[in-house]
Amino acid sequence: MAVFDTPQEAFGALRPVCVQLTKAQTWENVAQLQARLGAVSAPALQELQEYVLFPLRFALKVPGPKQERLVQSVVQCISSVLAATCVKKQELLQELFSELCTCLSPPSALNKPALLSEELKLAVIQALHTLMHSAYGDVILSLYQPSTLPLLGFAVSLLLGLAEQEKAKQIKISALKCLQVLILQCDCQEHRHLDEDGAQQCGDLFASFLPGVSITLSRVITGDIKQGHTITVSAIRLFYQIVGLVMSDEQLSRVPKNKEKLSVEQSRISELMIHRGPDWSKSTAEKLTLLMHKIVESSSVHPHWKVKLELVELVHHLMKNCRQSLVDSFSHLLKALVGLVNDENSEVQNRCNEVLQSIAEQRIVAENRALADVLSENLHSLATALPRLMNSQDDQGKFSTLSLLLGYLKLLGPKINIVLNSVAHLHRLSKALMQVLELDVTDVKIVEDRRWGSESSYEPSGCLQKGKCQKKYFRFFTEEKVFQLLQQVCRVLGYYGNLYLLVDHFMGLYTESVMYRKQSAMVLNELIAGAAGVGVDVLHEREDSVNMDDLKGSITSILDEYTDQANWYLITSIDTEEVGTEFSVQHSELPASPGSARSSVLIPSSDPHLSTRTMNGNIWQICIQLEGIGCFAAVLGKDFRLLLLSALYPVLEKAGDKTLLISETAMGTLVDICEACSYDSLQCLINENSDYLVNGISLNLRQLAHQPHASRVLDTMLRHSDVSLLPLVEDVIQDVLSTLDQSYDNQASTFLRVLYSLMAALVQWFGTSCSEEHQQGQTAEWRSRTLSQVQQQQLVTRQEVERFFLDYVRQKQIAEGNLPDTDDEEADGVPPLAKPEPNNSDTEGETPLPSHAQLAKDVMERCIHLLSDRNLRVRLKVLDVLELCVTVLHPHGNHLLPMAHRVWPALVTRLISDDPLAVLRAFKVLCTLAQKCGDFLRQRFSKDVLPKLASSLLSQAPASARAGPVYNHTLAFKLQLAVLQGLGSLCEKLDMGESDLNKVADACLIYLSAKQPMKLQEAAQRNFLFFNKPICSISVTAAHNWSQKCEVPTQKLNPPSYLAY
Amino acid sequence: MVLYIRNQLMSPYDIYFRSFVALMALPPPDPEFVLRGTSAAVHTLHFSCAGQEPDFPILFSGSENGFVHVWNLKTRRVDTALDGHGRKSVYWVETLDAKDRLLSQGRDQRICLWDLAEGRTSVTDSVFTENVGFCRCSLLKVAQGRWLMAMAAKSLEEVQVLELPSKTSVCTLKPEVGAKLGMPMCLKLWQLDSGSQPWLLAGYEDGSVILWNLSMGKALSQLVCHQEPVMSLDFDSEKAKGISGSSEKVLSIWSLNEQQNLQVHKIHKLVNSGISDITIRSDKKILATAGWDHRIRIFGWKKMKPLAVLDYHTATVHCVSFSDHRNPTERLLAAGSKDHRISIWSIYTQT
Repeated sequence: MAVFDTPQEAFGALRPVCVQLTKAQTWENVAQLQARLGAVSAPALQELQEYVLFPLRFALKVPGPKQERLVQSVVQCISSVLAATCVKKQELLQELFSELCTCLSPPSALNKPALLSEELKLAVIQALHTLMHSAYGDVILSLYQPSTLPLLGFAVSLLLGLAEQEKAKQIKISALKCLQVLILQCDCQEHRHLDEDGAQQCGDLFASFLPGVSITLSRVITGDIKQGHTITVSAIRLFYQIVGLVMSDEQLSRVPKNKEKLSVEQSRISELMIHRGPDWSKSTAEKLTLLMHKIVESSSVHPHWKVKLELVELVHHLMKNCRQSLVDSFSHLLKALVGLVNDENSEVQNRCNEVLQSIAEQRIVAENRALADVLSENLHSLATALPRLMNSQDDQGKFSTLSLLLGYLKLLGPKINIVLNSVAHLHRLSKALMQVLELDVTDVKIVEDRRWGSESSYEPSGCLQKGKCQKKYFRFFTEEKVFQLLQQVCRVLGYYGNLYLLVDHFMGLYTESVMYRKQSAMVLNELIAGAAGVGVDVLHEREDSVNMDDLKGSITSILDEYTDQANWYLITSIDTEEVGTEFSVQHSELPASPGSARSSVLIPSSDPHLSTRTMNGNIWQICIQLEGIGCFAAVLGKDFRLLLLSALYPVLEKAGDKTLLISETAMGTLVDICEACSYDSLQCLINENSDYLVNGISLNLRQLAHQPHASRVLDTMLRHSDVSLLPLVEDVIQDVLSTLDQSYDNQASTFLRVLYSLMAALVQWFGTSCSEEHQQGQTAEWRSRTLSQVQQQQLVTRQEVERFFLDYVRQKQIAEGNLPDTDDEEADGVPPLAKPEPNNSDTEGETPLPSHAQLAKDVMERCIHLLSDRNLRVRLKVLDVLELCVTVLHPHGNHLLPMAHRVWPALVTRLISDDPLAVLRAFKVLCTLAQKCGDFLRQRFSKDVLPKLASSLLSQAPASARAGPVYNHTLAFKLQLAVLQGLGSLCEKLDMGESDLNKVADACLIYLSAKQPMKLQEAAQRNFLFFNKPICSISVTAAHNWSQKCEVPTQKLNPPSYLAY
Repeated sequence: MVLYIRNQLMSPYDIYFRSFVALMALPPPDPEFVLRGTSAAVHTLHFSCAGQEPDFPILFSGSENGFVHVWNLKTRRVDTALDGHGRKSVYWVETLDAKDRLLSQGRDQRICLWDLAEGRTSVTDSVFTENVGFCRCSLLKVAQGRWLMAMAAKSLEEVQVLELPSKTSVCTLKPEVGAKLGMPMCLKLWQLDSGSQPWLLAGYEDGSVILWNLSMGKALSQLVCHQEPVMSLDFDSEKAKGISGSSEKVLSIWSLNEQQNLQVHKIHKLVNSGISDITIRSDKKILATAGWDHRIRIFGWKKMKPLAVLDYHTATVHCVSFSDHRNPTERLLAAGSKDHRISIWSIYTQT
């Protein structure tokens, strides 16, 4: 587009318009000039620079009011000229500078931006900006002489006024940019760097503006958030640039003690000049501290991340340049930095970390006592305020507060001990942690969730998950990241701090009050992790890593405290049996250790109605301690093996706890221990340390109060180990049995649980040898198998029954004289001989029982005693155990039969005169027993039990026939069903005689009625399977009875309704 | 009022039970721990705990299946099991100074000297006693590197004293002809202070205890303490007082006067009969007995005041032994029993 390349051509082209403009200062003329300028090349314009500028400047200088539009276009034109050219003369620069400034403010009201249009203001600012950029290095320096100070000051104040008070964002930004150029800190690369002297000189000059600039900027920074982040960012940048320049340590150190004498003509100006002596810098620093505080306060919580990033830069810049001069502000600056280190924006976070790292690397803190003091002071005040802040802030606020705390600790690094050695500091800090970490213990579910372990099948120990912390609920915060911060706080403390001091202090808190117990346990766990350097995120390595012996010592003492009776056996449920025992612990404990007066605080023994809150708290207490043990194991690794002596038993005890949360946590801890001590599996852990456990069990069995715990441990061992455990625990099982012998009355239910686990384990371990051809008892598996068998035979059955009736009818007709022609093919209705039962009784001979069978026998012995316990729950449990005993003893007939003989009377009582629940279970036992003992029981069964069972079936039948669908859920129904389901096979197993079978068939027949519930019909029908084959005559009688009862015409052979499904 | 209501709620049994618990303010003492795994009756025990860190305390146990187990009391586990008596019962173990030189006596009629240093487990020397009895040996250190060992000899009534490690016979102690003492049952070598002449106290099958002068090979005094064979005896040379037990219901305390005569000092009656081992603690303040009634009893030695009955075992207790920890508060009492277990008790902390 540049058409006029030579100055001559350009002159020719520009002259007319310039002349025109000089004559008449109108907007049109300016526009014409502007248009022409576009066609002139930069070198040509450079030659004509002053010539072109003259009419424009003239237009501005013409006295009298001017059209704004004109001024604006003139200014724009000037700036386009300047943009293409360089200002090479000092005078020109100064004049232009002042002329432009004047545009902004009419002489009437100095310092106050005139009421001008925004476009004009913007144009002027941009022109100034261009002007500053178009001046050559030396030329521009001429502007920074003491003599031009007033001019500069004028410009600065104007621009500041614009930046602060204007509404338009664009103007504000431009003004700030322009200011930046004005203090020679422009972002663009073109500028030459000032040499030391130049910088010093500028510093002296700018010192005069510093108060105004800094105050105004701080107002801009802390201004309305709605102004947009760009403004705040540039204001912050400008702020630290000017402060960094003026307060730079380097410059201040070179400032002479006394103010230079200036020549007389400059004296007026020299009054304006500031001498940056020590007094001045001190007082300025004080004022700046206030501003910095405000800035940090507002910017560190600014919603936009760029502002925060700029704040980090501010800290970095000032920490780098003004380390001495601004030391007072450091507490604020560090606070900002430290607070942002965990910012959610990763860029801020990274930059922050970089800066912190650089600070740490420079050892600014570690070697600077003053800074360490500042930090510890900050820490103290923060710790003091922490509880209050935690109460009042939202999670975000809490997060930043805690980030701050963590940052201080990290920055202090090894100097943490200065803080910790001061009692007041440590006290504050720990109390703050105690309050913040307070758990929310209102959740009822924690208390209610129970583990019904003994009923459930064996959990495969392979699929256990690694112990991870249970999710905790805190009173003062909900977000997980807050907790993680707190964790880090504790770990960093442990990492740098004096471990003995810390452990001692928090142990003190632990024992001091129940209020602090959970929190201090949590802190202790983290301290140890931190001390071992596990999961700590720090800025610099500590000088000497922790002494393993110290660590072990601390861990041992914490472990002892955790597993102390008063802290380990807490009431976690109001389960009657458990509470009873826990109470007796307390009772026996109180006199034994006078030091445990606190335990009475823990469990108010006078008030058995513990609140859920207390129990929830106790549960958490135990969980935290368990987690701690897991953590200690992880820290010590294989060294923890030695501590298993004391630690494993309590953990297993809790693994068998009835409260779900506790047992889960304990299982996690066990997995942790396995891993830490490098055992392959939980089984290995238990088996290889069974001696320790057995020792604990046997000793604890001696004390009434601890018996439940001991049995729980054994229970857990059995549950999670395999057959190889048996020889190791045989000894102690005998102990359990003999202890049970001494206390049938009160401890029976406790021990039954362990007996059940034992027998279940035996059945599992020796299952194949116990039941080769049979399934164990009435398990679901068995039932489903029988069911499918039966279903397969269903069709056959139907046909069989039908054929049977056909036969029967024919027979009857024959009997009545109606002889058919066909000959009797079924004359040889000889019942097939019952297969002789395989008798395994003589395979035993005199060989001693294998140990597991001996155990089963011993247990069975106890069951006989307990079968008639007063407590129904105990009786039910005993029946379960009994069934398992029978299964285990099965291959050893020589021993089983005498035992069966002894069990019989008690079992019969259960069967005929007990609660329906007990009858149900007893019947199951009977079925299992019949499977194993066969005809041994025949006589007894038919004499003692069958009549009663049959009659009860008969008597119940009308009730069930009448009942509606709800009946299916009643106990009576279940009992009927169980008896009907079991009776057939029972009769077969026992090889019952004819008359007995008749009784059974009678009882079953009623249930074939269509009025009976479907399930009962099915069960009854299946029974006929078992006995209609061998002995037809019975069925004949039965069928006869049935046909009479149901009054079905014998000729009609329609399948009865029940067959129609 | 509250009490009234609570009583209403509580069954008489509960009340009885609670008051019972309240009465038993001090629960019966429990063993500190129990060592299992010998898989046979334990007949003898010996501590070696005087070593400093990093040495760990050790307990040697000899059991009926011929094994000597070396227990590490820190881990409470067997470090090594020594098999040197042909699976015949081991009924005496003792160390020569350090824990790595061990003497063990077994029913195979041998006394073995073991070298246990640096993990070795070899028998370096042995003595064939040819004695078929149960009499435990007695060892006395007479000088640095020199010991005397008394043992029942081949011929039934004799006791032989050997010098170790040379195994040279010092003397053979034969009772007078026609004394009809029966076999020696238990032995105790002692001396008043180191360097003075050694003496031997021997308990015999007929219930008498005889003081032998080793240098003269002559019985100085004889005292009939029991009607039954003397099962065990121990002697306190400071107070010149000894104690012996037999299968009867008594403990017999006797003293030795200036004329070297044994006199009955006191007879202490027991509830149950049968004492298999008696040991006086090295500080001479208390003594422990191992009873056939499965119990360990602790007495004050001065006045035979009964201090405690330790009830844990489920079969005869065969032996009791006090540990030689340097620090008195760490000291332990161990008892080995027919029930295959070794119970370890901390007596100092309880009294």
